[in-house]
Amino acid sequence: MAAQDGLWYKDAIIYQVHVRAFYDSSGDGNGDFRGLAQKLDYLQELGVNAIWLMPFFPSPLRDDGYDISDYRSVNPTYGSLDDFKAFLNAAHQRGIRVVIEMVLNHTSDQHPWFQESRSSRDNPRRNWYVWSDTDTKYKGTRIIFLDTELSNWAWDPVSKQYYWHRFFSHQPDLNYDDPKVLEEMWDVMRFWLNWGVDGFRLDAVPYLVEREGTNCENLPETHGVIKDLRKRLDKEFPGRMLLAEANQWPSDLLSYFGKGDEFHMAFHFPLMPRMFMGLKLEDRKPITEIMKQTPTIPDICQWCLFLRNHDELTLEMVTDMERDYMYDEYAKEKAYRLNLGIRRRLAPLLDNDRRKIELMNGMLMSLPGTPIIYYGDEIGMGDNVNLGDRNGVRTPMQWNGSWNGGFSDADPEMLYSPLMLNPVYGYQAINVYSQKRFDHSLLSWMKQLIRVRKASSVLSRGSIQFLYPANHRVLAYLRKFGNETVLVVNNLSSKAQAVELDLKDYRGNILTEMFGRNIFPRIGELPYLLTLGPYQFYWFRLRRI
Amino acid sequence: MPETSTLSDDFVRELINVGEVDILVGVPTYNDARTVGQVVQAVRAGLLQYFPRERAVIINADGGSRDGTQDLVRAASISDLSVTPDIHALRTLHSISTHYEGGPASGLALRSILAAADLLQAKACAIVAPDSTTVEPIWIDRLLRPLLRDSRDLVLPVYRRHKFEGLLIRNLVYPMTRAIFKCSAHEPYPTDFAFSGPLGSRFLGQDIWTQDQGLHGTELWIVLSALVERCKITQSFLGVKTRSESAPADLVKAMRESAGVLFASLETNFLAWSDSRDALEAPCTGCETTVSLEHSRLNRKRLHQMFAFGVSELEPVFLSILTPPTHDELKRLARLPEEKFLYPEELWVRTVYEFAAAYHKAVIGRDHIVQALVPLFRGRAFTFLTENRDASAEEVETNIESLCQAFERQRPYLLEAWDGRK
Repeated sequence: MAAQDGLWYKDAIIYQVHVRAFYDSSGDGNGDFRGLAQKLDYLQELGVNAIWLMPFFPSPLRDDGYDISDYRSVNPTYGSLDDFKAFLNAAHQRGIRVVIEMVLNHTSDQHPWFQESRSSRDNPRRNWYVWSDTDTKYKGTRIIFLDTELSNWAWDPVSKQYYWHRFFSHQPDLNYDDPKVLEEMWDVMRFWLNWGVDGFRLDAVPYLVEREGTNCENLPETHGVIKDLRKRLDKEFPGRMLLAEANQWPSDLLSYFGKGDEFHMAFHFPLMPRMFMGLKLEDRKPITEIMKQTPTIPDICQWCLFLRNHDELTLEMVTDMERDYMYDEYAKEKAYRLNLGIRRRLAPLLDNDRRKIELMNGMLMSLPGTPIIYYGDEIGMGDNVNLGDRNGVRTPMQWNGSWNGGFSDADPEMLYSPLMLNPVYGYQAINVYSQKRFDHSLLSWMKQLIRVRKASSVLSRGSIQFLYPANHRVLAYLRKFGNETVLVVNNLSSKAQAVELDLKDYRGNILTEMFGRNIFPRIGELPYLLTLGPYQFYWFRLRRI
Repeated sequence: MPETSTLSDDFVRELINVGEVDILVGVPTYNDARTVGQVVQAVRAGLLQYFPRERAVIINADGGSRDGTQDLVRAASISDLSVTPDIHALRTLHSISTHYEGGPASGLALRSILAAADLLQAKACAIVAPDSTTVEPIWIDRLLRPLLRDSRDLVLPVYRRHKFEGLLIRNLVYPMTRAIFKCSAHEPYPTDFAFSGPLGSRFLGQDIWTQDQGLHGTELWIVLSALVERCKITQSFLGVKTRSESAPADLVKAMRESAGVLFASLETNFLAWSDSRDALEAPCTGCETTVSLEHSRLNRKRLHQMFAFGVSELEPVFLSILTPPTHDELKRLARLPEEKFLYPEELWVRTVYEFAAAYHKAVIGRDHIVQALVPLFRGRAFTFLTENRDASAEEVETNIESLCQAFERQRPYLLEAWDGRK
């Protein structure tokens, strides 16, 4: 299905899931590919048309799979390559594409490549990693995992040199100055592309190459690596997609699209915290300001938007003042803070307020970009900060109110992670089964939201024009694609609001509310007056009839 | 515009766009283009620096300026429409302006601001004078913080003024207010002050807006109302207060707005002030000496001449207002040459109290009573200037304190005069 529409990723609604966390078919306490395949009907019913799988490769699991020890296999806990293939085929049969994780920047220190590299300074793979006699090189490079790492260098007692790592010290960085590394990683990618995956989410791409006197981020040489991979991809596997994880300011992100010859998509990291900020401030300013700073990207490219993911809500791309505000408002308890972020799921971040959850998802689905839903957020799952690191947002999917929340038949003690048990977010209160029974559950509402979003390409491919009504609590914009125009009006406030919109360019159009399909008054000469309830939003189709 | 509303439709529309706020800063203006830009910039800087997270709005109530005052206030807005690169603000800051009808009058401006504060449910509201050339961003913190942090009702300013500035306040309004209402508020007639949202709503609900005190001297009236209500009051030291040079002060107008309002308040609130209630605390935050000593030139000679002329010219009026001993003493003073002239504080206090009683009894038209106090005040001002010509800041403060004590000592005299026993 990969070649049918080269721009499929623009219309995608991506569901991010960890195989381990979704469904355990074998009863060993870990989710697996067979389990995931069994739950594809659920995802199809939800309406998503793409899945992003977090790392499922063999790994010591010291960083939840982002420390890979074998790139060409499946972690046996999750099944076999055949299980993966069966899952992939089943997904494709349902019109669901599969994007997998590719960690280019580093491996596990248990990877055979690193074991060889450290074995002696003469080893042919010695140069596959970044070695140094001192720990003083690349001084201008920031440390990302501030809470655990003191340096980007770690001492290797075996070969008696330091090795470079941008993340945990057990994740040595690969050295892309050695052409063999690029060849090998492309070979890995080709391996999975041949199996039929539809794209890659490339992890930690700004850090691929190091150069003295720089901050070792976003370097031209790094872009050279990406361009090379993209060229090979387009040549051998047209229609497949590359998604960049580059937690950078919009201006720095632009270069990752190149001239349409690097990434197809990139996460819009700075927008996400500002959506939360705008909601808490009840002020659209943070959102419109970052969108003003967002550059125009090549036509074939697309932003990827998300509310929450498997990591902390990163606050790297905000000012100090904004970070302090976010901490105080969303993570008053220090336990919720990790590195430069907040380790919480969507529902708890939003006080489990259904109206806020709906509004944020409404914006996610109507701002320009491809939306990603983090598994469990569609039913409002909670988090468990006591599990350490970011494991609190990676607990088992809650399918029903029975044994282990329907996730696994194993003894509860065998689960890879404790289930959520508290009365508010525990599996007996929040689960798929109970929410499927009611038309007004969050799950049912999410299905409807996705259905309406998918009904037209205007929200996935259209341009955006912000309106700036004098009421700053209202975020309003027009999305246009071809002859279609959609008006989106969001009330960021906890109070009802009146707003006057300047729609004189659309005089004579009739508004049709896209969820209920009721018509609203025709646009006339005067500013268009709307009233919105607390956290309410509207999507209107504008039509001249 | 509906007849029952003091707010224009456009202003209401703007208020709808502002929505609920935590802080409202009101700036009443009339042709203040020379200074108001600096003032609103300081207000904005204060809000950004000290209250970056609070929802705030600057509201300008203008009496019909034709010099661009309103545009200068509006320019202080921070929004996503016009991005100012050097300003880092978390949220939108509206700075809006309305032209009120019937002005210019400080009371009408204040009413518009109070109405806006009420509609926007402001938790704290500050009023900042448009001509305060020495306003600093920290004023905003000092005015508003006690309301938001300490749940105070009213924050009054304390300034450092030149020893010869504010003569009417120092010789009449402050000491008399302190003696009668038992509250040591240095600036009972403030131009920069702050109050809580609920107190502002109570001010708005008072039935004064069609009366004199609802037009002029309203700030003094509402402070006196707060004293009567026994509100929680704090004083904040703001530093030097300098106003832009404008037209020469109209002393008759000033007397109406100060003594006239004070006398009217005594009349309205007799039961509240006449009992033997305890003193009302008004602690001062950051208070320093309130007197500065820069060189200043005042025409004392003319004050003396106008006192003597007034005592002579207004004799029939004084016969109605003053007791014979007081009147005789004033006539004696009027005959003294300038170098021997001294209007003693005890006599001044007795004079003022007899005027207040006469106002209560309405022995003649009340406005005439207030106006008649003007020449006598000039005599008292002459004495104040003479006594303090070479005085240090501490000596000036000691002299003011002495006058306050005289007002307090003679409080029973006022009560007797009020009852007609004098």
